[in-house]
Amino acid sequence: MEILDGLQIGFATAFTLQNLLYCFAGVSIGMIVGVLPGIGHLAAISLLMPLTFHVPATSALVMLAGIYYGAQYGGSITSILLNIPGTASSAVICLDGHPMARNGRAGPALLVTTIASFIGSCIAILVLVLLAPPLARVALAFHSADYFAMMLLGLVASGALVDEKPLIGIASVLIGLVIGLAGIDVNSGAMRFTFGVPDMFNGISIIVLAMALFGIVEVISSVGRTGGIHPGAKRLTFRGLMPSREETRRSTAPILRGAALGTGIGILPGAGGGSMASFMAYAVEKRVAREPGRFGKGAIEGIAAPESANNAAAQSAFIPTLTLGIPGDAIMALMLGALMIHGIMPGPRVVTESPELFWGLAVSFLVGNLMLLVLNIPLIQVWVKILQIPYRLMFPAIVLLIAVGSYSIGRSSFDVMMIAGLGFAGYLLLGLGFSAAPILLGFILGPLLEENLRRSLVVSRGDFAVFVERPISATFVALSVAMLAWAVYSGLRRRKEQAAAEAAATEDDGPGADRPATHPMKTREERNLR
Amino acid sequence: MGSSLSRDFVAGLVAMAIGAFVLFEGSGYALGTARRMGPGFFPVALGGLLLLVGLAITLAGLRTHDRLPKPNPRALVAIPLALVVFALLVERVGFFPAGVAAVLVASAADGGSRPLTALVLALVLVPLAYGLFVLLLGVPIAFVEWRP
Repeated sequence: MEILDGLQIGFATAFTLQNLLYCFAGVSIGMIVGVLPGIGHLAAISLLMPLTFHVPATSALVMLAGIYYGAQYGGSITSILLNIPGTASSAVICLDGHPMARNGRAGPALLVTTIASFIGSCIAILVLVLLAPPLARVALAFHSADYFAMMLLGLVASGALVDEKPLIGIASVLIGLVIGLAGIDVNSGAMRFTFGVPDMFNGISIIVLAMALFGIVEVISSVGRTGGIHPGAKRLTFRGLMPSREETRRSTAPILRGAALGTGIGILPGAGGGSMASFMAYAVEKRVAREPGRFGKGAIEGIAAPESANNAAAQSAFIPTLTLGIPGDAIMALMLGALMIHGIMPGPRVVTESPELFWGLAVSFLVGNLMLLVLNIPLIQVWVKILQIPYRLMFPAIVLLIAVGSYSIGRSSFDVMMIAGLGFAGYLLLGLGFSAAPILLGFILGPLLEENLRRSLVVSRGDFAVFVERPISATFVALSVAMLAWAVYSGLRRRKEQAAAEAAATEDDGPGADRPATHPMKTREERNLR
Repeated sequence: MGSSLSRDFVAGLVAMAIGAFVLFEGSGYALGTARRMGPGFFPVALGGLLLLVGLAITLAGLRTHDRLPKPNPRALVAIPLALVVFALLVERVGFFPAGVAAVLVASAADGGSRPLTALVLALVLVPLAYGLFVLLLGVPIAFVEWRP
């Protein structure tokens, strides 16, 4: 009954004209940035966060979330047509999607990915709707020590799992936590790391940090890339969209398996924007296939499962974010940031105290996915046109949007300058191998982590044993320690292999070696595929 | 850049430097006790951890040979500078001149772009941005003003 009531509120909220418009705007923008290889959905969400400042919380989240899952649809178009991943999570679609396009099956490949995306999303939305309310009820009983331990796990996972160098990943998390310290300490009123600058008293805004790390750094590292992105797209012709009976039969089970896997992975911390889900789904399909040799040559299973998985993960990632207030990756951290900007304290009370937000968002996911299903195929010619816009015309627009957008929040020149400074420093840091997502996650969780640590220790009278005495927090602390140990161990082992390889052959710099890895996942995934 | 310095080694040093700075600055705030954490407790813990992790990265980096990446100096200067120019100008001369200047400076990041193209781009983009933020979203910023 609770769910029916909830859905009723959800439909009433999602189907207001305003929210439908924001949903449409979100998924359209998401599609476009998904198609464009130069702009990630993290950059797009960061860039558009200031817009959401001027609208109600629910509409803001509807739009930002739309950008995220819209990009999951769009990314596979570029993968299939051009063999270039539009987003990190669609990198795996290149493997079989592009061979299909070369075999003249681009149409069916696009239709199957669109349908797989839709089914994957719907299954995850169903799980979200069924699982989130009871989970939120359970979470009401969690103590500050449990929250501390869960956040610890989230942070360790984001640093140690997403990055191929776990120690540098952990250092990135710590740097993020440090940036989060700036401003007035809410408990004592002490000024920390403000250096006497009044503009720093409220700390650094998440929008400022996100625009610097995902907007400015990405622009600096992409400028100079040569001209029109890919004129080759024009040559592809579509001989019908409908998959053959054989192709339909082959893709049904992979779509369902992908959806289940993706939903599960999306809930886990550190899962990194659906990329892990799509890669694991691909690996699973290859393992269960009767003729694994077909993979890499245009096997439809190889696009159906990953596409369903990454969309499912994009939706189920909202489960821990909305029920526990603990984001699994940088995108979810931005979503939490948007909530906090609107004065909503993330946590289990969101579901019960802001039902129109939770249910409205859940129903908007469904609406947005329907829009994408309808939009994707007919607009492919438009997306291909967009691919031909040269980057040298695009990046000044991005810089202008960052400048005006950040200034519009509080009409503060200081914020704009701060983005310039953080962008400059961020470019150098990422060039050294630090990664942006753990920094952002550390930044957003830092104040919450400190607050829960403080509360736990007040209750336990200063005894740190509190974190291992409660079963929930003990479990999460143990998981964090295990993950840390495993990451460090595997990092050392990989380093040894690398050293051996280096000794064998002189190092190859590769085409991307002179650019900092704005997407650490990409390089790692490329490696996993070999 | 020095060919003997590995990327990890430098990364470790940077982490250590940040950690040391946070430790130093944090120790200036009241530390408190575990039972009643002061404002300095968490910063000192973070600084110490970062120093340790940085040390581990530095030591491990002694044995690796990844070279430091070559930065793109032109873009590294021009892009942040465009934001600074916008920030300095917008409150003095208004949205339009500040926006145009920002687009022009940003365009300079790409060595191959021509000034005329950049100017045309600016004249298209800036009014669009003005329409979106000022006219549509209602952020009060003057189109042109003079308050040097």
